[in-house]
Amino acid sequence: MAAVTIRKVRKVFGKVEVIHGVDLTFGDGEFVVLVGPSGCGKSTLLRMIAGLESVTDGEIDIGGVVVNDLAPRDRDIAMVFQDYALYPHKSVYDNMGFGLKMRGASAAEIEERVKEASEVLQIGHLLDRRPGQLSGGQRQRVAMGRAIVRRPKVFLFDEPLSNLDAQLRAEVRIEIKKLHQRFGTSIVYVTHDQVEAMTLADRIAVLRGGHLEQFATPDEIYNKPASKFVAGFMGSPPMSFARLTASGDGKTLSMPSGVVLPARAGLSAGRAYDAGFRPEHVKLGADAFAGAVNTRARVEILEPLGAETLALLSIGGALLTGRFPPQAGVRSGDEVTVSLGAAEMHLFDTETGRALAA
Amino acid sequence: MTGPFMTAKLSSLERSERRLGIALLMPAFALLGGVVLYPIAALIRMSFSENKLTEPWMAKPWIGFENYWKALGDHRLWEASWHTALYIIVTVPGAVALGLGLALLANQPFKVKWPVRLGLLLPWALPLVFAGLIFRWFFEYQQGLVNNLLIWIGLSPVNWLTQEGPAFFAICVAIIWKTSSFAALVLLAGLQTIPKSLYEAAEVDGASKWNQFREITLPMLKPAIIVALIFRTITAIQTFDIPKAMTDGGPGNATETLAMYIHKTTIDSLDFGYGSTLAVLMFIVSAILTSIYLRHTRRDPSAGRH
Repeated sequence: MAAVTIRKVRKVFGKVEVIHGVDLTFGDGEFVVLVGPSGCGKSTLLRMIAGLESVTDGEIDIGGVVVNDLAPRDRDIAMVFQDYALYPHKSVYDNMGFGLKMRGASAAEIEERVKEASEVLQIGHLLDRRPGQLSGGQRQRVAMGRAIVRRPKVFLFDEPLSNLDAQLRAEVRIEIKKLHQRFGTSIVYVTHDQVEAMTLADRIAVLRGGHLEQFATPDEIYNKPASKFVAGFMGSPPMSFARLTASGDGKTLSMPSGVVLPARAGLSAGRAYDAGFRPEHVKLGADAFAGAVNTRARVEILEPLGAETLALLSIGGALLTGRFPPQAGVRSGDEVTVSLGAAEMHLFDTETGRALAA
Repeated sequence: MTGPFMTAKLSSLERSERRLGIALLMPAFALLGGVVLYPIAALIRMSFSENKLTEPWMAKPWIGFENYWKALGDHRLWEASWHTALYIIVTVPGAVALGLGLALLANQPFKVKWPVRLGLLLPWALPLVFAGLIFRWFFEYQQGLVNNLLIWIGLSPVNWLTQEGPAFFAICVAIIWKTSSFAALVLLAGLQTIPKSLYEAAEVDGASKWNQFREITLPMLKPAIIVALIFRTITAIQTFDIPKAMTDGGPGNATETLAMYIHKTTIDSLDFGYGSTLAVLMFIVSAILTSIYLRHTRRDPSAGRH
């Protein structure tokens, strides 16, 4: 187990700079998820921690040792690959034991550790099979088993669930969380799926275009997004936005239609701001919560999910998503009254996208 | 049962489609019959007859298995077969081993790939007999490159092409050089199917480069190696051009192969009957090896892979 520190790390491929100086520090035993859209540099960053990509500039430190110039095998890390990268000609047992064998462990030790890991992962009955004879979910477990038997300082996961179907993904997600609780080893986990990030992470690093947007707990990421990008990326369904204009005294904001919302912080008079609303802060009916601003809305599209219905609403020229109760008796095209949670509203600078201090 | 051969139940549309299909296949069948089946049949028929162009007054009598009994007791045939077997034993693994080295080299991430690929292809594209001539010059006693090198490093020159052992060695070198590029191409194709992530996983697992080669490259390349070995073996049975150009079988018959003996019997001695018998025997050996190859390739090569 070890802490990982990333200091001002840059990565340049040819002439293209894909990571522009990222600083991150993960605590010992922490579960950190790197999340972001494709091309944000999250996989590159993970591969740099693994040693599969060189570090152009900056330092990567694992457990107090700068590992920039260490080969992957000398970093004491284990990695679960997106395509699992199981050795197709080796049995499950040999796949799991390979890392120990390469490190000169005795046959008895390999057997003990492989047995232990296979019990934890419930793949004891598969040890004699080849990867080609396994289902996707079983291969995934073997790939995790291969990482676990090594008892490394840090586990690295590179989009490990992206090749599984939705149901299996939810199961394995829980499995991974259990493994972390059991072994307590530091994990760095890459995904583009914000649900995985929210459910698994102790802390989430949101990356965008090679820059770190925010590094915080899931709770903070959700409730205090540092930027409009983070606000829109994290959360399902995502936060929706409306462009509002500050009044002359900077104490209220108004929609083009004239709906006026109270502002918390001092705003520049007459300036435009992007206001973000989580769907749960756009509710059907007047005065649904304390400090709500009531307004008329036109229902554009309804998405019934069973426990609730998502409604895409046209409010004063903006499109906002709201969470409605399941049997609200509302149809698309209806004019309804909704409550906007003005106190829960997030404000972002229209140019930089950064959140305004509350 | 309504199989495709239940003609009675076919509709008129299906019948006319089948007729068109057969008509479209006819040119291919005719070509195959003309250039493959007919010559083989003629060869087999000729092998049962006496047919010496040097004795045209003898006509071409049918003599049954007489040529075959003669072949069994033909000391020179057994010698030529033994030489051919030696060439196979030495040059097939030799070419595949050298080819593996070349393939591994060509698979390195060079910035400019074409010089390496061209270097791989050139020996393969060169006609066999030219390769033989080039190596004859290399191993020439007086002007040859090899002897010049030997003298330069202080050794005495060797009569490469006129002594049994050295001649065999020189021919093997030429064959291995010439045929390794084919093996390299087959193996390079195999190398490129190995996912890069396996090497990354092995790297993280702590395998050294040598262990990565032993534990991943070699086992993953096994199907391609077997294909290269079998392909090379089938062509090695027919070894002709390079020894023909380098020594013409000499000294004496010391480097003569089966194909060279057949050529000498048929073309130099004009004994078409016995030459055909020898050719039929070689054809049988080739056919057996080819069928082994076909059986191997028909097995699902993806079995056991993921």
